Amino acid sequence: MDVTRYIDDRPEDGAFRVNRAIFTDQAVFDRELTRLFEGGWVFLGMESQAPAPHDFFTTFAGRVPILVQRDGEGHLRAFVNSCPHKGARLAQTQAGNARLHVCPYHSWSFDSAGRSKAIKWQRAGCYSAAFAQDEHGLAELPRFAGHRGFLFGSLSADVPELSEYLGEAAHLLDLVADQSAEGLELVPGQVTFTYAANWKLQLENCSDAYHFTSAHPSYIRVLERRQQEISADVVASVWESSDFWKEEAQGVAGGSYSFAHGHVLNWGIFGVTPAIPLYESAQVLAERHGEARRDWMFNMRNLTIFPNLQVAENASSQLRVIRPLGPGLTEMRTWCIAPKGESKAARRQRIRQYEDFFNPTGMATPDDTVSYENCQAGFAGTVNPWLQGHARGMTASVAGGNRFSDVLGMQPERSVLADAQLCDETLYHSYYRAWAARMAGGDGA
Amino acid sequence: MTATLTRADAEDLLYREALLLDTGRFADWLALFTADVEFWMPAWRDETTTTQDPDSELSLIYYKGRRNLEDRVMRLTSGLSVASAPLPRVVHQVTNVLVLEAADGVAEVSAAFTCHRHDVRMNRSDCFFGRYLYRVVDEGGSWRIARKVVTLLNDTIPTVVDINSI
Repeated sequence: MDVTRYIDDRPEDGAFRVNRAIFTDQAVFDRELTRLFEGGWVFLGMESQAPAPHDFFTTFAGRVPILVQRDGEGHLRAFVNSCPHKGARLAQTQAGNARLHVCPYHSWSFDSAGRSKAIKWQRAGCYSAAFAQDEHGLAELPRFAGHRGFLFGSLSADVPELSEYLGEAAHLLDLVADQSAEGLELVPGQVTFTYAANWKLQLENCSDAYHFTSAHPSYIRVLERRQQEISADVVASVWESSDFWKEEAQGVAGGSYSFAHGHVLNWGIFGVTPAIPLYESAQVLAERHGEARRDWMFNMRNLTIFPNLQVAENASSQLRVIRPLGPGLTEMRTWCIAPKGESKAARRQRIRQYEDFFNPTGMATPDDTVSYENCQAGFAGTVNPWLQGHARGMTASVAGGNRFSDVLGMQPERSVLADAQLCDETLYHSYYRAWAARMAGGDGA
Repeated sequence: MTATLTRADAEDLLYREALLLDTGRFADWLALFTADVEFWMPAWRDETTTTQDPDSELSLIYYKGRRNLEDRVMRLTSGLSVASAPLPRVVHQVTNVLVLEAADGVAEVSAAFTCHRHDVRMNRSDCFFGRYLYRVVDEGGSWRIARKVVTLLNDTIPTVVDINSI
C-alpha cells in the first residue's frame, strides 16, 4: 500500500496532512484489522480481571475472540477463544472461573492451561494417525505479556518485545499503577457503547485539547451553575477548581508527548486539589514517590497506547478499549479504573465524577461521539480530501522531552509545552506515523 | 390524613411522566420528583446482574437530589449540546404496572417500559427496554416520585442515551 496517498508527512515543509479516505475506505479498514489489531500488540485487559487460580476473562483482538485464562498455578495465558474441533466460541461469558472449559457444541474439553483434556468418544472415533499428530489444545497467542497489571497480546509472533513496544510510554502506565501500593482495579460495572464512525476519531479525540470548550459548553454551563450553588447533593467536578478550560488562563498549562510506536499523552496542570479523589493520598504519595512525581499523578492525563488502549485521568479515571467493527462503526468498552484501597468517600466521588463526564449516558461523552458521527458524514466530501486538523503546534513541537518529562525520567520522541490555547495537534502525527509504518508495503504496492 | 396508592393512581402517575418526557415538557416532568429523589440506572456487573451499590460500583446514571436532574434538563434543552439538538423524537410505553407495597402515603411500584427513539440527526431509530421500580410518596396531596430505578436491559448504548429515552 502506498501510504503517501493517505498521509502527507513532509516535516521539511512544515506539512502534515491526513486524507479523509483513511476513515472511510473498506480496503484500508480491512488492512488495519489484519496489520494493527490482529497483527501486533493490542491491550487485552487488566490482570485484576482474573485474580484467582482458574479465573478467566474474554475479549477481542480485532475480530478474534480471546480468552485470557489463569491456570491452577496462577500462570496467565491468552488463547484464541475457539474450539479447535469446529471453531465454536468456547467461553461464553465476559469473565468467570473454570478449571475446565467444555465446548457446548461437541463437548471437547480443555484445562485452565489450555491443554486438551478430553475428546468425546475418541477411541470409538476411528481417527487416523494424522489426527493424533495434531495439537488438540487451545491455540495460544504467539505473544502475551504484561506491564504493571496491564495485559497485552499479539496474534503475530513477529513483533518487538512488549517492553520495547511500550518504550518510554511505560512510565505513564507506571504513573497510573503507582497511585496505590496495592495496585489497580476496575470498579464493578462495565459500560459498552458504539458510535457510527471510524475508530481513529476516538484515538484522536482523547488527545484533543482543542475541542473541549467547543464540544462541551453545555457541560461547562452545568459546572458554572454548580459553582454558584455548592451543596452536598451536587456532583463536585475536578474541572470546577481548574483553570484548564478557562479562556483567560495564563502560562504553561500542560502540553503533549509523543512516543515511538504511536503512543501519545496530552496533559494539563490541575494541581493537588481535593476535587481529585486521590487527594486523600497526596501526602503518602509524596513521601513514597517524591513531590514532583506525586504532582504528575494529579495532572490531567490522556494516554493512548496504540492502537486500542486509552487511560483518561481528567474528570475521573477511565480505561477505554477501542474495537473497530467497520470503517464507520466502533465499539468502546469502558471501565472506571481506580487505585485499590482508597476510602469509601474517595471511591464514591470518583464514581460520581465518572458517570457524569465519561458515560454515554452522561453529559460530555455524547457530545464527542456525536461529533465523530458528524465527521464521518463529512468525510464523504472529497473535493478537498486533505484534512487540516493536524497542524496546530507545528512550530512548538521539539525533539525529546522537557523539564516535566525529566522528573519522570521519561524520554519522549517529541514534546510540546503549551498554554491553554495552543492545543497541540502534532501529537496525532505519532499515531499516523506508526499507522503508516505498519500499513505500508507487503503487497507489491 | 394520607392516601394509599391504588394501581389506577400508579398508572396515572407513570403514564403522565411518560407523556411529559415524550412531549418535552421537562419542567413539569421535574415537578413529579421530590427534592431528595434518588434517580438510578445501574450498570451491568456481568451477563445476569446489575450493580447493586452505587457508592462502590458504577451506574449508568446515579443522582441523589432533583437538583442534578435539573442540570440534565438544562443541558438537554440548552441548545449547547450537539448530541441533544435537535432533540430525538421519543415515545415511552409503560406496561405491567403493579403496586408491590402500599402503606399510608408511600408505595413501591414496578413496571416495564419500552422507549422508541428516532434520532432525526442520523435518521436512525432505536428501541430501549427494561423495568422501572418506583418509590412514590404523598406530598401535600399529590403523588411524587421519591425513587426511580431504571434497569436498562439492552445496555450496549448506541452513541447516546439521555434521561428522555429511558
